[in-house]
Amino acid sequence: MRDLRQRGGQARHILRNPLLRKELRQRMRSGRTVLGLSLYLLVIGAIAFVFMYVNVQGQTLLLQPTRTAELFTFLSYLQLALISFVTPGIAAGVISGERERQTLSVLLTTPLSPLSVILAKWLASISFLSLLIIMTLPLYSIVFLFGGVVPSQVFAVFVLQFVELGALASVSVFWSTWLRRTLWSTVLSYATTAALFLGFAVVGYLADTVAARNPDQVIWSYLAGVSYALNPMYMQASLESSSGFLAPNFYNPAFASIFQTVQAHSLSALPAWLLFFTVYAAGSALLLVASAVRLRPGSLAIVGRRLIRWMSR
Amino acid sequence: MITIENLCKRYNRVDAVRDLNLDVRAGTVFGFVGENGAGKTTTLSILATLMLPTSGRAYIGGHEVTTDPAQVRRLIGYMPDSFGVYEDLTVREYLAFYGTAYGVAAPVIERRTRELLDVTNLGDRADEDVGHLSRGMQQRLGVARCLMHDPPVLILDEPASGLDPRSRVEMRELVKNLRERGKTILISSHILPELAEMCDEIGVIQRGALVACAAVEVVTARASGQRQLAFDVLRGGRVLGRVLQEHASVTELLTVEDERVDVLFSGDEAQQAELLRDLIVAGYPVVAAREIGGSLEELFLRLTENDQAPPVGERGAAEREKAGTA
Repeated sequence: MRDLRQRGGQARHILRNPLLRKELRQRMRSGRTVLGLSLYLLVIGAIAFVFMYVNVQGQTLLLQPTRTAELFTFLSYLQLALISFVTPGIAAGVISGERERQTLSVLLTTPLSPLSVILAKWLASISFLSLLIIMTLPLYSIVFLFGGVVPSQVFAVFVLQFVELGALASVSVFWSTWLRRTLWSTVLSYATTAALFLGFAVVGYLADTVAARNPDQVIWSYLAGVSYALNPMYMQASLESSSGFLAPNFYNPAFASIFQTVQAHSLSALPAWLLFFTVYAAGSALLLVASAVRLRPGSLAIVGRRLIRWMSR
Repeated sequence: MITIENLCKRYNRVDAVRDLNLDVRAGTVFGFVGENGAGKTTTLSILATLMLPTSGRAYIGGHEVTTDPAQVRRLIGYMPDSFGVYEDLTVREYLAFYGTAYGVAAPVIERRTRELLDVTNLGDRADEDVGHLSRGMQQRLGVARCLMHDPPVLILDEPASGLDPRSRVEMRELVKNLRERGKTILISSHILPELAEMCDEIGVIQRGALVACAAVEVVTARASGQRQLAFDVLRGGRVLGRVLQEHASVTELLTVEDERVDVLFSGDEAQQAELLRDLIVAGYPVVAAREIGGSLEELFLRLTENDQAPPVGERGAAEREKAGTA
């Protein structure tokens, strides 16, 4: 109970962060935010509507459960693509942009700790996309009307997407802190995102190929499994194929191949999920701490001194 | 209040600051003068905890800037030479944000915002976006921002740079006002006459080293073994010129016109008064005799024209301690 109260206190402390409040105020009241949210909902809504309209034509049943599952898969992949493309664009300039606008030096002379600055920037950068994802929930609920997808699946997909969003934002904040120019920070943020999606897929494929030629060397198969497990696209597929209804009949051969790989490597199994969440959560935390260390000179020395003082108590 | 001891900052192979010693007493305005790249901004950045020195120490209010930066940040208000603003915040929101960042309570923020907007003449702009303010207004807002947590020390890096003459005058008045409120102010500039008006003491920095440091009057007097005097006359300037040339304290005739004569004068103010009285008694129609400004600029040029210039009235912390005047 005391622990819970403490955690509640910490959450309030983070929300009271003046930089976070300022960032949210600046982001959320702009016309672009309202326009972006409205347009996205309109597009997603239109896609859902057209999909259902086409599938209802000439059907005796209103909508087949397998088709709604396909709609859910399509929408969730569209959302994953949106997160992957938009997050680096939003987060890659959070610190370098302050540096370029010459507001960073003043910010760093306030008593705000480097970590609180980085956390505020990180939270603010994911706030817009988080709102976007949450706002689409009612649209996703349409699929429940027709069956084919269970609420726990939808919940799991959303959790994965939030983890992915946080990780991509951490990567972008990291580059934004370590590089002086937003241009280079953006380039490297997109390159890292591409490496997560394409790099792990390519490594997985190559390891699979070698494993097929050398069945006695299990290390290749293991490497392929790990690579696929660290790929958000495959892990999302593992959630959607966990009940086994999607993979065989999925209309797109590329997606079908992903689902087959997911089944072949048992990515729906718990170890794959533990690996994915541990690596992404720990990686995000490490990147945010590294950004905080970089943000203000001497931070590491101060942390070191405090640690020594704490240990000598 | 501000003490710098043997401060050095080295970038690759370049010494940005070399063995700098300085002591600024509480409640004084200290002017930091130097060419571009002389090391002013580096020194101020170290004091503002934005940069670590290569060696040496700097203290603000007794707190060392590298070992106790958090405490130092609470004691200072820092305005960099060029700074940006959050353009889409209103003036009130802008000040409130920094007040909250410094942990100032909400009712105090409200009261202080009103006061500071009044002091900086921005009261009627409180609800305008910061981006809509002129450069001079943004500079004044920058000073107001520095004062939101009511720090005893202000570090202002070239606060008047890029401002039009009117805004420069307003900034100067603002600094004077803050001096009257008892703030310790370290201000850098290359506009020397302005510094002379605002500051109690001046330090000249050249290639990272302090080459002169003393009270404004002392610096001005030492800078100018001779001063430029201009005599405005109704007529007969050429005759007056010949008479002045014969005077013992006049070392050179600079300008001779019908209605004006400029000379280099090596005497003190008493001798200047005596000369003026003699001229009037002798019947020369002298309308005015005035000193042409820029003596500080002369000093600056003289001190910075070669690297080996001897320190003028150098008064680092160690020396002050020896003299018992700190």
